[in-house]
Amino acid sequence: MRRLYSLIKACLTNDMSIFKINTKKKNKFSSLAPILISLYLMFMIWCSANTIFEKLKPFNLQYIVLSLSIISISAMTLIEGVYKSSALIFNCKDDILLLSLPIKKRTILFIRILKFYIFEFLFNSMFLLPFMIAYIRWGLNITWTYYLTCFTMLLLSPIIPIIVSCIIGIIIANISSYFKYKNLVQIIISMSLILGILFLSFNSETILNYIIKNATNINDLITKIYYPAGVFSSLVTNFKISELLLFILINIITFIISLFILSKFYFKINSRLKNVIVSKKNKNIKSLNIEKKSQTRALIKKELNTFFSTPVFIINAGFALVLFLILVVIISLKSDYIINLLVDKNTGLGISKNIINNNISIFVYILISLTAYMTSITNSSISLEGKNIQIIKSLPIKSKTILQSKILAPLIITTPIFIIGDLILIIKLKIKILEAILLLILSILIPLVSHYIGLIVNLKYPKFDWENTSEVVKQSMSSFIAVTIGMVLFIISYITITKFIGHISSISILIISIIAYIIIDIMLHIYIVTRGSKIFNKLNSY
Amino acid sequence: MIEIKNVTKKYGNKIAVNNVSFNVNDGDIFAFIGHNGAGKTTLIKSIVGIHDFDSGEILINGKSIIKEPEECKKIMAFVPDNPVTYEHMKAIDYINFICDMYETDTKIREENIKKYAKIFEMEDKLNDTIDSYSHGMKQKVVLIAALAHNPQILIMDEPFVGLDPKAVFDVKKILNEMVKDNKIIFYSTHILDVAEKLCSRVAIIKDGNLVKSGSMKEIKGDKSLEKVFMELEEDK
Repeated sequence: MRRLYSLIKACLTNDMSIFKINTKKKNKFSSLAPILISLYLMFMIWCSANTIFEKLKPFNLQYIVLSLSIISISAMTLIEGVYKSSALIFNCKDDILLLSLPIKKRTILFIRILKFYIFEFLFNSMFLLPFMIAYIRWGLNITWTYYLTCFTMLLLSPIIPIIVSCIIGIIIANISSYFKYKNLVQIIISMSLILGILFLSFNSETILNYIIKNATNINDLITKIYYPAGVFSSLVTNFKISELLLFILINIITFIISLFILSKFYFKINSRLKNVIVSKKNKNIKSLNIEKKSQTRALIKKELNTFFSTPVFIINAGFALVLFLILVVIISLKSDYIINLLVDKNTGLGISKNIINNNISIFVYILISLTAYMTSITNSSISLEGKNIQIIKSLPIKSKTILQSKILAPLIITTPIFIIGDLILIIKLKIKILEAILLLILSILIPLVSHYIGLIVNLKYPKFDWENTSEVVKQSMSSFIAVTIGMVLFIISYITITKFIGHISSISILIISIIAYIIIDIMLHIYIVTRGSKIFNKLNSY
Repeated sequence: MIEIKNVTKKYGNKIAVNNVSFNVNDGDIFAFIGHNGAGKTTLIKSIVGIHDFDSGEILINGKSIIKEPEECKKIMAFVPDNPVTYEHMKAIDYINFICDMYETDTKIREENIKKYAKIFEMEDKLNDTIDSYSHGMKQKVVLIAALAHNPQILIMDEPFVGLDPKAVFDVKKILNEMVKDNKIIFYSTHILDVAEKLCSRVAIIKDGNLVKSGSMKEIKGDKSLEKVFMELEEDK
């Protein structure tokens, strides 16, 4: 037991260092910003929860919200876990160390899943706690049993989604380990699975109807949809210690059995994944590709190489872009249906058809903004250098050239996708030529803001001592802050744009937006080449 | 010429390098020795511009590494203690990338890559990704990349670690050739007998302080370098 404690402590100390507040730092705001952002997010969720509870109070259905929050957060954990798990549990940098120690292989897998669990627990708590706290005000008969139920739920709710995503992750890793282009296979399977889950969740009417028909009451209905959510609502409304104990037991047994079964395959797959297939071609030195490129081109090529060799990076960044293209296809195929939906007062926003027709380019602009702010590629590009930061800093290149390459590379990735999507929508929705040009300009300017912000955040919160890429791409402070800022910026721009709709022409809105984004991009660029370069010069992986 | 003038580097309250001064002249093979944690890597990283330092000055051919870092780095190459590379790259792409950063002419890089790949027996392996290599092979790739752009100054941190005996022999031969062209070799090492035979000058650092610096003859006299080093280590 003491050995297990030492192992857990050693493996987690490094990861948990991101939560330490460095009081020695001159800029205390930088140290406190992650906590302030988290608290602000929790406060916003708490405010929304209060509004929902207030509306449900007359029907005494507040407890349903608690169950729905568990279902939503579990679905998010599962979707994210599908592509995160294979990166988190395989090919870790400390594999060699841990495998050489006299530790059971099952224990090593346990440590990997435990790290995954802790991050998901913290993430889930940020969403669930505000709902649980808000319920104290609106719920009926709040006693100590409510607090016990909430505490148990917080601890156990990540287990089932984590185990399911680990099983899927191991299956994906197993399939891809047989191929030469392992990363490509991993990306295709993960992306297909995520889109499959999303497709199912949007087309689950038949399944839901069947469950509704066969459910005896609301608690039974929620239990049949997702067992832990059903137990939660049942325990909140009618606490039974036997039900709580059974729930704890089911989670623990599921975890132990899964760990036991997964450990049977894990190490074989892990070692197969490490097998690099050496090329048999081009053995002759004369066939080596030796060509000169400019510093910027070479740096951009390096950045693109890093991006395309990191599956979790591609899936994370590519997810919003793929969704954008899917939405583009849906909109172009069913444009009349979507416009009718927006017009309908019961199902949509109740916007008049006239406003929609006059501002169709603005709706495309909102879609571009949403995708751009959801696509944060640069928030881990500094961290992904890892120990290689030494190489790059010893080379005769200006820091601003390095940083500019980190902006240009993601722009090369995002721009063609936005342009393709834009062109489809422009042709299909018959958008006027001037508005079309303005939309194309915005498709470069808005992602540029997102890339600049991601890079600035990563410069402030770099993490070089990671065990696997998923830690920096998905679980680092930098990615959390950049994604949150992106969400806030989208909300701000959405509110601002909608305020102008109907008051000024769509061309005016687009032109004002372009001017605003040019100013923001220039300001962010100046920050990157001046202050950003100075911060970069001080970075060190040690 | 490398001029290190009163350089001090601290990590928090700990002084890693304390007021160190010495010069490395053109045509020198300079050994930098000291026990683990003595401050060798810290000073090397300061010379190549990876670290900043708290006080003092480092001049490379008369230019400050702090004020004109790009100009200084252009004539230097650095081989770190661990062969850190972009592992997902093919070795040839990595070497090309380093050459691009130094803006090396295609003809020069082609000649050098072929020359050093042949010496290190890596000709048929450069098209593979670096993550398929052993530690020694990675070290060879780092060395080829460092040598491919014809650096005037070669700075190495423990360059022989992980290399096979033939590669160690080849590196020593390459260093001797470079010195004939009046280039500077500055490297840290724990292999004292190699340093004794190979180097013209030596500096010994202990707990961040420079305890001895000069020509190999002056420092060791009639004794072996190992004996001198051990005597200094025992002087508490």
